[in-house]
Amino acid sequence: MSHARPVRSVETVDLTKAFGGVLALDHATVSFRPGKVNALIGPNGSGKTTYLNCITGMIKPDSGRVTYRGRDITGRPPHRIARAGLGRTFQLCRVFGRMTVLDNVLAAARGRPDVERARQWLRRVGIDHVEQVEARNLSYGQQKLLELAGVLMSDPETVLLDEPAGGVNPALIERIADLVRELNAEGKTFIIVEHNMDLVMSLSDHVVVFDRGRPIAEGPPDVIRSDERVLGAYLGV
Amino acid sequence: MGRTTTRRLLVARVARAVGLLALAFVILWFPAAAPNPYILSAAVMVLNYAVLATSWNFVGGFTGYISLGHGALAGLGGYATGLLITKAGFSSFVALATAALVVAALAVPLGFAALRARGASFVIVSIALVLILLLVFQGWASLTGGSRGLVVPRPFPDLLRPEHHEVFYFLFAALLGLVLLSWWLVDRSRFGLGLKAIREDEDKAESLGIPTFAYKLVVFVVSALFTALAGGLYALWFGDLDPVFQFSILSGSYVVLMSLLGGVRHLFGPLLGAVVVGVALEYFKVAYGDTPLHLVASGLLLGVVVMFMPDGVIPTVAGLARRFLHPPEASIREVSAAELEEARR
Repeated sequence: MSHARPVRSVETVDLTKAFGGVLALDHATVSFRPGKVNALIGPNGSGKTTYLNCITGMIKPDSGRVTYRGRDITGRPPHRIARAGLGRTFQLCRVFGRMTVLDNVLAAARGRPDVERARQWLRRVGIDHVEQVEARNLSYGQQKLLELAGVLMSDPETVLLDEPAGGVNPALIERIADLVRELNAEGKTFIIVEHNMDLVMSLSDHVVVFDRGRPIAEGPPDVIRSDERVLGAYLGV
Repeated sequence: MGRTTTRRLLVARVARAVGLLALAFVILWFPAAAPNPYILSAAVMVLNYAVLATSWNFVGGFTGYISLGHGALAGLGGYATGLLITKAGFSSFVALATAALVVAALAVPLGFAALRARGASFVIVSIALVLILLLVFQGWASLTGGSRGLVVPRPFPDLLRPEHHEVFYFLFAALLGLVLLSWWLVDRSRFGLGLKAIREDEDKAESLGIPTFAYKLVVFVVSALFTALAGGLYALWFGDLDPVFQFSILSGSYVVLMSLLGGVRHLFGPLLGAVVVGVALEYFKVAYGDTPLHLVASGLLLGVVVMFMPDGVIPTVAGLARRFLHPPEASIREVSAAELEEARR
């Protein structure tokens, strides 16, 4: 599925969200590169997942603005944002446990459920041999692949992955990385939240580093690697 | 697909067709075989329960929202039917259809408010609906007759009692067929797939682009429509409505018990549950009269079902049968790198 490459992707201006007294996002102003593999990194509790939830409408920000391809999507319901072309996976992989693998993918279809297309995505992520199995009976790695196939079935222009390598064996990490590269080459934009630095450095074109709810650095991986603020944030210096 | 799989599918399809024919035959043959009018009237009650439970299962089975308030939707259907006949002069079946549409329309604001709550909160909201309506219908005596009840004129005044039961037996059977067919159609549709996704993980469904609130609301209205039809038909059959019975949490709970017992993920689950629980309720009433023993029995039954057969009787028995007929095949393992490599070729 090809899309005309947009000029702008996800952008946020002064995005702020507090949970009680904890400021999870503190005037976060970020713009992600369209057509690229963007990475969002930062220490635990730096606000990455809250940020992702605010973009995708799962959480309403207290203030600030989210735009996608130049359109304001702040506070829209998640399904509208998904339909605008932003697909996401979850940190702790979420699948429809008591539905078959094939139905999991079909549920994400736009318009009429196209079984052939669903099978193509399952084949592409490598789990088409278990299409009639209930998703709860899959291994964790297979569930991660299934979640990815589901999101891709919804035909997003931009894919947000929340820790795609978390709890997954090295061979599968490599498989997921290859998929991201292939899909990126086909025109999809990626925004990846990830703790695995090897993966981030080898996969991404553009890295944004969060600390205490706001970006502290951004740039290409090799620049980020040697940025002192980043090292400071990670090492607690 | 392997040849054995194809054959197994064919066997399953033939078995299903035979089962359906047998079910239809039993339902159509029963009135002729019923030994007396009492048994026939008990069968009408069971069919009424079956329609209510299957209608409830549009919400409970597909979306996983457990409503204890469906008894009240049936009560509304009954009262609306009765009032349209007695106060507005509608003919019986026009009143029935109009009442169902009115309740469906009422279900839009009700669902709009109730479906914002999830899990236990939704259950409590649905209970509140029953209690509020009970107070309204008891208090508003000038319209509803209050605690004295509302007498609903019979649609066929010339019929004798046994014939009256027989006519309503077939009317309920036809309604049951319609409700089952509708549930089956939704189950196979894209809409049904979205509803089941809501049951599994509502936030995830929403993130995949499914407008979950709209889906829930639509299916709630459909469920209310069929529930009101059952309530209205009951009013025409029974001829007398009392708020205490029409707006009771107990009747809503029975419907939930029936559905859970039979199995909410299965088309015929609520029907099976209605037959088991409905027959048991009638038996307890006859054998133990006015003692609250039937309440104790249904409470125990609910406990046993939730503890030992959370998926209901049909899936549990089917699972056991499958284990006997086809010993488990190799379980699913973690995919190795080699297998992934293989799968990619």
